[in-house]
Amino acid sequence: MAADEPAWIDGLRRGEPAAFDAVFAAYRQRLYGYLVRMTRRRDVAEDLLQDTFLRLAQHARKLAPDTRLGAWLFTVAHRLVISWSRAQAVRAQLAGDLPAREAGGDDRSPLGALVESQAQLALERAFAQLEPPYREVALLVGVEGMQPAEVAEVLGQKPDAIRQRLARARTRLAAALGEHAPAARRKP
Amino acid sequence: MTDQDDAAELTEISRELPALDLDATTTERIAHRARDQVGRRPSPLRFVEPAIAALLVTGYLIWAVLKALEALGG
Repeated sequence: MAADEPAWIDGLRRGEPAAFDAVFAAYRQRLYGYLVRMTRRRDVAEDLLQDTFLRLAQHARKLAPDTRLGAWLFTVAHRLVISWSRAQAVRAQLAGDLPAREAGGDDRSPLGALVESQAQLALERAFAQLEPPYREVALLVGVEGMQPAEVAEVLGQKPDAIRQRLARARTRLAAALGEHAPAARRKP
Repeated sequence: MTDQDDAAELTEISRELPALDLDATTTERIAHRARDQVGRRPSPLRFVEPAIAALLVTGYLIWAVLKALEALGG
């Protein structure tokens, strides 16, 4: 939690736009990265990011003083991703297809143009290949630095389930990365 | 391996992921739209539509009951 968060929450509860701006600046990039990697689409990630912050703005006055903003925002973002995924599956079925397999970080990936090295590309692909439940845990723990208990709270899952996903995500990522794995590179 | 070990290794692996961000225009658009909603209390007009619907349904039900009673009473 950022040191300024209590002041931000206080400001949000009073309806101060400056407090919103501070929260937006602190969490925009983190949430966007999470949303892009979960949806694999930048346009969708932008929409869901906007919805996340709209919900924050609309609930600003009702926030509890001890709210942990990171957990609150990622919970909202997670729920929006779930809703979007379900809508995608329904659309695909209505179109007569099987639920669409997620784009697997190939050259058409929106992330492909952003990476600077083969190692980064391999990393993005490895994350993209993870099934969403594992990818989500890997992102929240590995990128966001959340503790498994906090991830369980954000995702509405039991801590044991998260620990299991965490272990599998790590194993699958390391296997997918092979020689690109940072840990593997350190070991002879 | 403990979950702390798993978390540490995932953090190490994820360190090289590139940071993703929005372009400045999109950032400002999203911020502006959401900022406008901060602290805004819900409009009381949001009750108008459900109230009209409730009145219509209640009126229809009363009419239906009266008609049924009329039919039963001959």
